[in-house]
Amino acid sequence: MKSIVIGVESTAHTFSASVVSSDGEILSNPKSVYKAPPGGGIHPFEASQNHLAAAPSVLSEALRSSGVGLSDLSAVAYAMGPGLGPCLRVGAVAARTLAASIGVPLVPVNHAVGHIELGCLLTGAKDPVVLLVSGGHTMIIAYSGLRWRILGESLDLTLGQLLDQFGRHHGLASPCGRAIEESASRSNHYLRLPYSVKGNDVSFSGLLTASKSLLDAGASFEDVAYSLQETSFSMVAEVTERALAFTGKKEVMIVGGVAANKRLSQMMSAMAERHAAKALSVPLEYSGDCGAQIAWTGVLAHGSGIEVPVAESTVRQSWRLDVVDIPWRG
Amino acid sequence: MTSPGEAEWVPGRLLYRGAEADVVLGDWQGLPAVFKVRKPLTYRLASLDQEIRRQRTVHEAEMIRHAKRAGVATPFLYHLDLQASTMVMEYIGGKMLRDLAGHMAEKDVEGPFFKFGEGVARLHAAGMMHGDLTTANVVSREGSLVFLDFGLAHRTSRLEDHAVDLRLIKETLVGAHPGISRAALDAFFRGYEAKAGTPRFRRVRSQLRNIERRGRYARVA
Ligand SMILES: Nc1ncnc2c1ncn2[C@@H]1O[C@H](COP(=O)(O)OP(=O)(O)O)[C@@H](O)[C@H]1O
Ligand SMILES: [Mg+2]
Repeated sequence: MKSIVIGVESTAHTFSASVVSSDGEILSNPKSVYKAPPGGGIHPFEASQNHLAAAPSVLSEALRSSGVGLSDLSAVAYAMGPGLGPCLRVGAVAARTLAASIGVPLVPVNHAVGHIELGCLLTGAKDPVVLLVSGGHTMIIAYSGLRWRILGESLDLTLGQLLDQFGRHHGLASPCGRAIEESASRSNHYLRLPYSVKGNDVSFSGLLTASKSLLDAGASFEDVAYSLQETSFSMVAEVTERALAFTGKKEVMIVGGVAANKRLSQMMSAMAERHAAKALSVPLEYSGDCGAQIAWTGVLAHGSGIEVPVAESTVRQSWRLDVVDIPWRG
Repeated sequence: MTSPGEAEWVPGRLLYRGAEADVVLGDWQGLPAVFKVRKPLTYRLASLDQEIRRQRTVHEAEMIRHAKRAGVATPFLYHLDLQASTMVMEYIGGKMLRDLAGHMAEKDVEGPFFKFGEGVARLHAAGMMHGDLTTANVVSREGSLVFLDFGLAHRTSRLEDHAVDLRLIKETLVGAHPGISRAALDAFFRGYEAKAGTPRFRRVRSQLRNIERRGRYARVA
């Protein structure tokens, strides 16, 4: 029987709710994004205030535009973690209240699993090597033995943090990914920057420091943005290639906010081609944080009987992807 | 991939094609040689790509020399062609430990895996990690072990890094040689302990347990 799940995302800067049906139709996906002041980073408490103010209207919009009534919902899913404590709690409270008031199960979802599963739904990927690149994550992932396994990751900053901290140093407001991509597209002058791949892992901290120093020394923002992108994306493509060669899988999928970057997906396609693998990118609207990733994973988890009693529906600020069982792929 | 020792040495024969390098048999001034060629990765900017391949070639050669100085058997380096990111080295005629292990009974593992452990302990004591310790990167020649593939090696004395080396060995044994993995790992650890000394061995092994508990480095088979 067809089931319908509403999902609530509030792990970081985005508060979003979405209604998704068990045949994979996304019926609504409104969001409210907290914008940090120019030059400043995300402030967890202020972001949570944004979410608190936005929650009622985002939730009612998600329901209204889906054309689905409260009584049609089979479950309420929420992002239990990982993420920023104050932000996570807003989503958890909203989901708990909704689930209790309509009397349906509450389904906990891991945010990173959400990115991956929504990506698979939208791109049609069956068994991909996944590159998850966002503000919160930089990981190379593949499914094996009931779990999504981490094959490589950043040892320090995430790719999103690298771009944001670089942009903020220049006075941009985060998230700065789009502005950096735009500036980078106006240069083709490569300035040498540190390239740090350690086995299957990458490290971005030296790259960030060197890029800031170049700006401080008077290099043009376009040139440094271009060089930063070329260097960091090449690092990520290289470790993804190692994972692809190692696992022998035939699909590579990019998900997470940075997946929106065209140069990154172009590089991944060229890399995949060497291995006769398919490169897949999640459509822009769904690559960043959104309710649909939680709602769709909620559909899958609910179908496997995963739920949490309201009394135990806490949040988990650091909840590693590779400890979550994925029975629906078993 | 073919085991180097099993097939005869035929110049020009491709031995191995990896994500990063081609390994080709060749002739170097009359000596049977192996050419490890780091191929261009076309998705990278050409200038960046060229520089990385050059650096890695230099780095691998340095690491091989360092290992040799530490008393670990490695191929002799004949030549470095930085323009072509190519390392020319001695051809090691022997059998990959991976292929040997494939035919081993439990009672045969003691010798080679004890030596494997000793060799790794020597590398670690010399302040380096290998970084890619699979049974495909060790060749048995006339009863002694030769270590190959120092592309991911680096200078480090950190406990964590040394434990990561052991972690990969354990994963490889369990994943690729499940029938003998327990005995092989036991022998490996005894060899390691014999060279590294009991206190250091205990510390590295407890760090290995920490890594395993963190759930990182999970293998996808
Ligand atoms: N000096 C050598 N003598 C004999 N065989 C070699 C030699 N170097 C490499 N090989 C063979 O080529 C394979 C790949 O070489 P390696 O250096 O490990 O490259 P990669 O870094 O791509 O793994 C090895 O597993 C081994 O079988
Ligand atoms: Mg190798």
